[in-house]
Amino acid sequence: MNNASNKKTITFISRQAPYGRNNSRLCLDMALASAVFEQQVNYVFLDDGVLQLVKDQNAESINSKTIGNALETLGLYGINDVCVDKKSLSRRNLQPTDLIIDVKMVDRSAIGELIRQSDCVFNL
Amino acid sequence: MKFSIVVYAAPYSSEAAATAFNFTKTLLDQGHELYRLFFFGDGVHNANRLAVVAQDEVNLQQRWDQLITTHRLDAVVCVSSAIRRGLLDSQESERYELDAISVYGSSEIAGLGQLIDAVINSDRVVNFG
Amino acid sequence: MSCLHTISQSPSRQLLDTCASVLETGDAVIFIEDGIYYCNQKESLAEFKVEFQVYSLVEDMNARGMLKRNLIDAELVNYQQFVELCCEYDKVVSWF
Repeated sequence: MNNASNKKTITFISRQAPYGRNNSRLCLDMALASAVFEQQVNYVFLDDGVLQLVKDQNAESINSKTIGNALETLGLYGINDVCVDKKSLSRRNLQPTDLIIDVKMVDRSAIGELIRQSDCVFNL
Repeated sequence: MKFSIVVYAAPYSSEAAATAFNFTKTLLDQGHELYRLFFFGDGVHNANRLAVVAQDEVNLQQRWDQLITTHRLDAVVCVSSAIRRGLLDSQESERYELDAISVYGSSEIAGLGQLIDAVINSDRVVNFG
Repeated sequence: MSCLHTISQSPSRQLLDTCASVLETGDAVIFIEDGIYYCNQKESLAEFKVEFQVYSLVEDMNARGMLKRNLIDAELVNYQQFVELCCEYDKVVSWF
């Protein structure tokens, strides 16, 4: 380790729907690892990423693990700054009550602000 | 400036693997430091030593291996992405009692902690997927 | 904290729309890979409120026969300049 600060603010922007591709899982794994290593983590669901939060998922029917359940681990790992883009939600006919976990509703300017405040951004 | 590079894309499936290679080579040529190269998700295929490529095509895996070896780069293949895609070093090959080693010796198989360490210790992290 | 955004997918994926909605004055966008096709659409940048510098990777433009179709007057940069831009801006956000 050099003299760089050991605590960074890392923002994860999860933008892909679950199951079709693996990006949602990769994004979650990176965030959980960051929390284990005691980094400051922001987690944002944007565009199709909000579809990961939909209730009543059952991925057993496609031989996969249900991502909705995995997202509940965010809180267990101490990741409490979890946001959802309002516009992405409404464009997909979703309400906050349709979602599996409690999340903060934010607009685009708030997401922009998170990006600006971060040392590093993972966007997938 | 101290960079780390994260590659999510497999060679031949996506141009991003080649873009990552060109970018990495360029930054090294310019005298910048590469703290770590991290292959993640499908990106682990960039470290596959068992690929055979047509003679008139670029063998990107081999080029990565040469670049990593020449510059003594710290190259990490994410363990959870690697083993489920059949990318094994001697240790993993023995652990799971399989009879092949498919990862170039120039890359090390390790966990996501190495990525977080790279974030902490780099000036810039650039992602290619 | 200025930000360089890389966009590597064709305009049909609409990544620039989302990207432009979170960036602010002083940020920049660089088109790479299939993202360079934005240069072939004059209307690409018209609708965004925030002004940002736009670059495009010349190697990817050349590969796709698009060097003469830079209708949005993006500043063409090579890999050396791409690396330099990553140093110039405080961080890099990749859209793919």
